[in-house]
Amino acid sequence: MAVDLKMPVLIVDDYRTMLRIVRNLLNKIGFSDIDEATDGKEALEKLRKRTYGLVISDWNMQPMTGYELLKEVRGDASLSSLPFVMVTAESKAENVIAARQAGVNNYIIKPFSAEVLKAKLKTVLGDF
Amino acid sequence: MMDAKNHGLVERLTEECLNLYNAVFRRSQQLQPLLDSSFRTGALKRAIDEQRTARNEMEAAVDRILSAAENMMAIDFSDPDAAATEMANCCGEIMEACSFQDITGQRLSQTIETLCVVDKSLDALATDHMSEGDAGVAISDEASLLNGPALPGNGLGQDSVDALLASGKKS
Repeated sequence: MAVDLKMPVLIVDDYRTMLRIVRNLLNKIGFSDIDEATDGKEALEKLRKRTYGLVISDWNMQPMTGYELLKEVRGDASLSSLPFVMVTAESKAENVIAARQAGVNNYIIKPFSAEVLKAKLKTVLGDF
Repeated sequence: MMDAKNHGLVERLTEECLNLYNAVFRRSQQLQPLLDSSFRTGALKRAIDEQRTARNEMEAAVDRILSAAENMMAIDFSDPDAAATEMANCCGEIMEACSFQDITGQRLSQTIETLCVVDKSLDALATDHMSEGDAGVAISDEASLLNGPALPGNGLGQDSVDALLASGKKS
């Protein structure tokens, strides 16, 4: 089944530039309903107020990291099946394993290309 | 009159005082480059300022590049001549914005020199301290996962990350 490109997507990053880059890349892919948060706490508040189809989150943010956000999402019955992609500069094996164990759907290392983002989103969501 | 027993005690105390003095003196010498007022108010302050400035310059440059890219994406190609002019303007903007690399590189070089001074002093101090039996301070698991960008050759590439994720799914 084709992915609904109109579904709301939440991108989470404390760098305005990265939010802008990811937003532009998602627009280019075809996603049109994109919302932003600058840390895990703000993201969680948004996730509990609106139904999103995908979360793309950075790891290293304050006060709540992307990893903590992932664990909160997976621990919340109403959010637990939400596709969650980590996009981060944290590139140690222990980070990837911790994220995998916490239930991340995919993990992208910064810096990344538009092609990598598109390929990973296809892996998570299906073809579009 | 001091008897032989007291004499030995005084000798031992004198030796310990001397050792203590030597340890304090050695530490103060190791820290001297960092405690020097010209270092703290000069090089260190400048390095901090350079970092802040470099961060702001990078953000401004990226902002400028992104704006040019967004303008390019919005170009109306129904008028090819106007589109070509607009495209050339955007490319010029991007090239100009990229000149930040030269300035930022110089700022970073200055900061690296300062960090090398700090590193050298702390290294000497740590070596001395560890030799006295300090095993170091443990950090929490969560904190150990916040490393920031890896230096070249230290982190995993995307292919290795994909393999790690895939190995978890199979198990």
